[in-house]
Amino acid sequence: MVPLSYYLILAAILFVIGVAGFLFKRNIVTIFMSVELMLNAVNLTFVSLSYSLRQLDGQIFVFFVMVVAAAEATIGLAIIITVFRNRESLNVDRIDLMKL
Amino acid sequence: MQTSDLIRILPEIILAVAGIVVMLLGAFQKQNAGRMHPAIALLGLLGAAGAIAYQYPWRSLDPAFGGMLELDAFSAFFHILFFLVAALVVLSSSEYVAQERLASGEYHALLLFATMGMGLMASSNDLIMIFIGLEISSLASYILVGFRRGVATSSESSLKYFLLGSFATAFLLYGIALMFGATGATNLTEIHLALQAEQNTVTAMASPQLTPLVGPVPTALVGLSIALLFVGFAFKVSAVPFQIWTPDVYQGAPTPVTAFLSTGSKAAAFAVFLRVFMVALEGSAQDWVWLLWVSGLLSMVLGNLAALLQTNIKRMLAYSSIAHAGYILVAFTAHSEEGVAAVMFYLAAYALMNIGAFAVVSHFGNRGERYVEMEHYAGLGYRAPLLAASMTVFLLSLIGIPLTGGFFGKFYIFRAALHADLVWLTVLGVLNSAIAAYYYLRVIVFMYMHPAAEQIPVERVRPAMGFVLIFSMAATFLLGIFPQAVLDFASQAAALLLENLGNGVL
Amino acid sequence: MTWIHDHILTVVLFIPLAGAILIMFLPKENKNGVRWAANLTAFLGFLVSVPLFFWFDSSVGEFQFVEKVEWIPSIGANYSLGLDGISLLLVLLTTILGFIAILSSWTSINERLKEYYVFLLLLQTGMLGVFMTLDFFLFYVFWEVMLVPMYFLIGIWGGARKLYAAIKFFLYTLVGSVLMLLGILALYFINRSQTGVATFDIVALQNLNIPVNLQLWIFFAFFVAFAIKVPMFPFHTWLPDAHVEAPTAGSVILAGVLLKMGTYGFVRFSLPMLPDASSHPMVVNLMITLSLIAIIYGGLVSLMQKDWKKLVAYSSVSHMGFITLGIFTLNPNGLSGGILQQINHGISTGALFLIVGIIYERRHTREISEFGGLSNVMPVYATMFLIVAMSSLGLPTLNGFIGEFVILQGAFEENWVWAALAVTGIILAAAYLLWLYQRTMFGPLDNPKNKNLKDLNFREMMTLVPLIILAFWIGLYPKPFFRILEQPVQKIMERVRPAYYAAHPDAFGAPARLNAAAQPSASLETEAAAVRSAEKRAGASR
Repeated sequence: MVPLSYYLILAAILFVIGVAGFLFKRNIVTIFMSVELMLNAVNLTFVSLSYSLRQLDGQIFVFFVMVVAAAEATIGLAIIITVFRNRESLNVDRIDLMKL
Repeated sequence: MQTSDLIRILPEIILAVAGIVVMLLGAFQKQNAGRMHPAIALLGLLGAAGAIAYQYPWRSLDPAFGGMLELDAFSAFFHILFFLVAALVVLSSSEYVAQERLASGEYHALLLFATMGMGLMASSNDLIMIFIGLEISSLASYILVGFRRGVATSSESSLKYFLLGSFATAFLLYGIALMFGATGATNLTEIHLALQAEQNTVTAMASPQLTPLVGPVPTALVGLSIALLFVGFAFKVSAVPFQIWTPDVYQGAPTPVTAFLSTGSKAAAFAVFLRVFMVALEGSAQDWVWLLWVSGLLSMVLGNLAALLQTNIKRMLAYSSIAHAGYILVAFTAHSEEGVAAVMFYLAAYALMNIGAFAVVSHFGNRGERYVEMEHYAGLGYRAPLLAASMTVFLLSLIGIPLTGGFFGKFYIFRAALHADLVWLTVLGVLNSAIAAYYYLRVIVFMYMHPAAEQIPVERVRPAMGFVLIFSMAATFLLGIFPQAVLDFASQAAALLLENLGNGVL
Repeated sequence: MTWIHDHILTVVLFIPLAGAILIMFLPKENKNGVRWAANLTAFLGFLVSVPLFFWFDSSVGEFQFVEKVEWIPSIGANYSLGLDGISLLLVLLTTILGFIAILSSWTSINERLKEYYVFLLLLQTGMLGVFMTLDFFLFYVFWEVMLVPMYFLIGIWGGARKLYAAIKFFLYTLVGSVLMLLGILALYFINRSQTGVATFDIVALQNLNIPVNLQLWIFFAFFVAFAIKVPMFPFHTWLPDAHVEAPTAGSVILAGVLLKMGTYGFVRFSLPMLPDASSHPMVVNLMITLSLIAIIYGGLVSLMQKDWKKLVAYSSVSHMGFITLGIFTLNPNGLSGGILQQINHGISTGALFLIVGIIYERRHTREISEFGGLSNVMPVYATMFLIVAMSSLGLPTLNGFIGEFVILQGAFEENWVWAALAVTGIILAAAYLLWLYQRTMFGPLDNPKNKNLKDLNFREMMTLVPLIILAFWIGLYPKPFFRILEQPVQKIMERVRPAYYAAHPDAFGAPARLNAAAQPSASLETEAAAVRSAEKRAGASR
């Protein structure tokens, strides 16, 4: 059997990849996908922990996360579309109307 | 599920129904029939407030949905605060919605949905519920921020808020997952017991029902989880170093929405922040207090310093809101009953004065938010004396001048911090609040002491807006002169929240 | 009559506020109506405060006219008012200067009249509250609230650099006062842990025993607030700006009353609440050094000023140095002189600012070089200016002399060097005031713009005459004032130097039993007892 720690480490690696993608990618859609990757890393963590603790809470949690992630995706894509209509670009470096 | 469970979430149900009704009305009605929407939204808020009041006294209520929700005095306090904030925002946005031709039905529905999410956040006692409440309110807020669809800054704000918000949520979720792994629970009280049992293993051995389900709690995992949870919450309350989104979002969002975010959402985020850290993680306070210490100090310093440089009033108020999060973190750092009460009182005082200030900004802003630079305010003290006078009151309250709610808020915060022997943090905090006076005074200087370069048009104040201004001014003074009632409410709620934790009894 | 007797302080405190609210509802166009309303309110406020002087019993050491109502029970803050000798004199000074300041602005202020008077009257309530309250929390409230009207007075009706001056004034004072708030909270917590009672009551807080090093911390928290307000030497830079830019009435109030809040703070809070810190050699040396620097530096800078008002402003720094010098000699002479000199400074500097304001209103300049030979065209003005200048530089028969003399006596008693250095301040004062007088009043009337200046009208005379009468009164017959101060000074001395009166049984304010028991044996016994008790207290507090 694959030990729990393998799953956790894999999830952590996925999460870090998501973070890195979020920070270093310049395309808004890719950035958004990085966030989704992070959420799924969390889901993997939940499922594996839930299995090893013999508790269903974690699995249920995963369903909630998936639902919320879907809702987030619809809203996120809608927002991305309005931004694209206004600026005709999906590069974050050009979304700079307000100074930081 | 029992009837009592449904009664516990009756306020949220009422809000959701009202929201759906408003949204459907908006979809099926003609464009110009938007006058009904605010009325229904207000009715919904009133009904929800009634549902909260109906359950008084809040101290003896059982937890609902198997401990998922807890309608205690703490959550009642925040519910009332959210409803008040939402009602004031609805009233103060009537001018704005008409003049920007926003889709009134959706706008009010989203406000109600966001308020509902905030209400869930305040009463959830389980990390799952916290996550859901947070997402309900966040998703609605993302849309509200970008509600001026055709305006590039607005959609840009929305995008930044959305991307950074979901990024932070991912951290929060990861923190929840690790906490679940470490303690085997997502319920805050159970987490508290599991961590406490770990801390004094002797007690745990003596009473087997308290033994955690997974044996010894891995402390490294708990530490990591606390750090991740902190990231998530610090983002939501816009504390340094997770504040970068705040100025852009607050500047680009429609002004009434900015008012809503900076008061309601911030209060909701602090409500869950307090509940998670004070209820579930109180036992390992030594692990997270220093995080709050550093973050509070940095928020005050960076928020104030950046606010000094701003010329756009919305952006200035955004930076000041970071600084105010810092003050609140000072009281949080005390992690005592007094500290919790101080946070609650401050959030109430801050909400009222900040909504008032944003209402004035929104009114002066005029169509398309054209006049939101400080120089536009030159000479307004004489052209719009009452509006300028109320703005002055709100700004003085934000500075923390006595006889206003802001003063008592700061007073309780620094009293709690000093009582917890946080001497240096307190000293730096009060000095910060003195420096902050400079940028608030600048607005007053422009209004009263500068000749006007450009005479901006000042519209007549409509009754709804007038009511908001008078109400928030009266409340600001009331909290500054007779704070007793609100303070008692806050202290009782804080006492009840922390009551059963010391001895590990559920 | 009993009702008014029991609530006289509340009445005096809120008359200006009531007047301000009334004026807010008057129509803006009715300028004379606003003027009359403001002046009558201020005059009424003064009239109502006069009985205080007669009803006050100077033989009683406790606070009088006490009123107490619960305000915020959960933190122990009360609305409580009361007077002792020190605050009585300052309250009377405030009511009379408030009236004079309002009277002096009849013609000099023409725009935004209504707001101007509202702010002046609000300021008046704030200042009265600071001197009257017996609750430390309420004190802080008044202390800060009063910043706001003063800020607007400088910022709206001020001179060319008004914005800079107003913000500087506000920020300086605010930084000081927030630190004071922490000091107040520290005392509050110490009291709560020692007695179990949560209170901000000033009398209760005056009876604490606090370890010396903690006292020092709190002392410095208070010090920043009070020293900025006084202002003491390194903190004085806001003062000339604020004074020069403020309108005349603002300057009169600022110099006459607001600065006194700092010295009042030292006398009312620092000394009795933190006796061991206040008498700590390091603190005493620091305070005396700063006072002496202020005296001499203020004098020298005054000597170099080309701007009439700035000269008066810097002379304030010098004179306030005398007051802090007197207070920190920590003996009865120095203390009583320091307190009385607060009143004297209010009278003479207030009058000097009025003098400057009168000429500024006529010529719209304050450059000393613009003037000369004014005594030819304005003889009454020149006479009054002479009296006021003499009172300020300390000529015998006028008030300034009494105060400075008693302070010097006190300083000499401790260390002759202090007195010697302080005397140079008097010499400098004589130099800059007489030189100013010579340059403006005497000499040829060579500037054509000055040829047609009108002399004082009746209203302007009425602003100066009361002050001149007071100056002569204190100068010729100061006894009633000293009698009023006797009890408070005695109380402070018993806290700060408990053994002092035993060693000096005939000093000012010495308890009567010591004077009566002048026989050597009894006196020695009491002295020994006093020393013992002092040692015990010192031991306990360490």
